[in-house]
Amino acid sequence: MGNKTVNLIGKNSMRIVLTLLPIIGFLILWQLAAMFTSIGNLMPGPIQVIESLFISFAKPLGPHTIQMHALYSLKRVMVGYGSAVVTGIIFGVSLGLSKMFRALFRPLFELIRPIPTVAWIPISILWFGVDEMSKYFIVFYGAFANVALSVYMGIQRVDPVLVGAAKMLGCSERQLTFKVVLPSCIPYIFSGMQVALSAGIMSVVVAEMINSYEGIGWNIHAGQQTANMTQVLTGMVALAIFGLLMAAILRQVERRMCAWNTRNT
Amino acid sequence: MEYQKYIEGRKAVITCKNVCKEFDIRDRKQAGSFRVIDDLSLSIYENEFVVLFGPGECGKTSAINILSGLDRPTAGSVFQGDTQITRPGIERGVVYQSIALFPWLTVMGNVEFGPKARGIDRTQSRKRAQELINLVGLQGFENAFPISLSGGMRQRVGIARAYANDPEVLFMDEPFGALDAQTRYMMEEEILRIYEHEKRTVVFVTNNIEEAVFLADRIILLKSCPTSVKQEYIIDLERPRSYTAPRFLEIRQKITRDMDKAL
Ligand SMILES: Nc1ncnc2c1ncn2[C@@H]1O[C@H](COP(=O)(O)OP(=O)(O)OP(=O)(O)O)[C@@H](O)[C@H]1O
Ligand SMILES: [Mg+2]
Repeated sequence: MGNKTVNLIGKNSMRIVLTLLPIIGFLILWQLAAMFTSIGNLMPGPIQVIESLFISFAKPLGPHTIQMHALYSLKRVMVGYGSAVVTGIIFGVSLGLSKMFRALFRPLFELIRPIPTVAWIPISILWFGVDEMSKYFIVFYGAFANVALSVYMGIQRVDPVLVGAAKMLGCSERQLTFKVVLPSCIPYIFSGMQVALSAGIMSVVVAEMINSYEGIGWNIHAGQQTANMTQVLTGMVALAIFGLLMAAILRQVERRMCAWNTRNT
Repeated sequence: MEYQKYIEGRKAVITCKNVCKEFDIRDRKQAGSFRVIDDLSLSIYENEFVVLFGPGECGKTSAINILSGLDRPTAGSVFQGDTQITRPGIERGVVYQSIALFPWLTVMGNVEFGPKARGIDRTQSRKRAQELINLVGLQGFENAFPISLSGGMRQRVGIARAYANDPEVLFMDEPFGALDAQTRYMMEEEILRIYEHEKRTVVFVTNNIEEAVFLADRIILLKSCPTSVKQEYIIDLERPRSYTAPRFLEIRQKITRDMDKAL
């Protein structure tokens, strides 16, 4: 027992070391390159960037502090991504369950889907103006297809033996959808949501770089305009933290809801 | 002769008349059909433990699907009592070769699935489910998810789930096929214990001769694909049976010989 605990601690600290080693190594190399090579003339080292990140919590970058920028981006992601998840699930389920719906909308969906998110920005401004709505739309567009496709795939892969078992146990056709088809899709819904989240964050940055006065994407864009590489890199680091946090939260939700799908929980 | 005496005074629960089953196969070049069951006729009597014994891939699962009502025969008909079986129904329970538990439901959730779907009173169905969970020896695991259970335990849940609707007849399609030999021996004894406790008609499918002789009141030997009845045997050995008793080995040998001819 005692031995096992020690072993576990050993294993855990080993993992932490393995995780941190490349990150710290990368930061040191970057710092050294900024200090001693010509790269230093082009861009700041990590110490300066992290310092700037901390300063920007108090001193505004452009109109807002960095946390306010992050909140703007967060709100856009939440609205656009949230509505994409809800409608994507409904759309994917309809595609999977209704032949009629599939015949009607699958071709249109396949036709629109290949158009990259960025290409929609001019149209989104035309339709929704330069306000929040156009950003919501871009995030929505970036996330929607990932959720819809994933759910659709989940429905196609429902185990027919499980469906048969449910019927034998007295499940009506109507109950089948809610008692068997949808629950067995949950892992697919979450994997679609993870991919869609990355796509949504990518989209919000693109939208903010082209058409915005605030948000993390704006920071990067504004830094580029004024040749302020520290601001660009500060924005990038903020994005890394932002994306990491969002994905981690989603993974926690998934772990709660899909406890049945993983051993040892 | 022996058979006549066996069925005397017994009520037929399932009657299968001249059932044929063909699957459409759509190849790239040709469309055609593949005959899996060819004129299958048999009767299952009240509260007997019948084993359908046939070689692998002979069409056992296809036959169970038709007998249980999940699939329709291409020709022929199946009756439960006087009513024709045309669709899945709670009067028949099935235990699956692939176990097929609902992975997102707990042990209790799986066992309660049928009664809940039918809208049976909550407290009543919970009580019955608990009774069955205890019967299959899973008390303490009510809130466990299938993924955390061993194969043998999962199939115990499968059995309890099938009993929960109180069906008149239970179809068990190679329920222990996926288990290791040790667990399998144990589960064979378990299923007899459960059978004695919850007297129902059981139709048990296997491709294992030892399992067939150990369990059956009557063995129906099936031909290889396309399948139909080759031969029937009344197994009048006392229970509990011993795998090594001379009579056991004798019956086992006789059926094996007949099966070789059937192949
Ligand atoms: N839906 C289907 N469409 C086409 N062919 C099928 C279908 N279901 C089964 N078959 C074929 O019918 C044959 C018998 O299958 P079945 O699963 O009924 O046999 P089985 O005796 O249960 O086999 P096993 O011993 O592996 O459980 C197999 O060759 C299989 O490929
Ligand atoms: Mg089979």
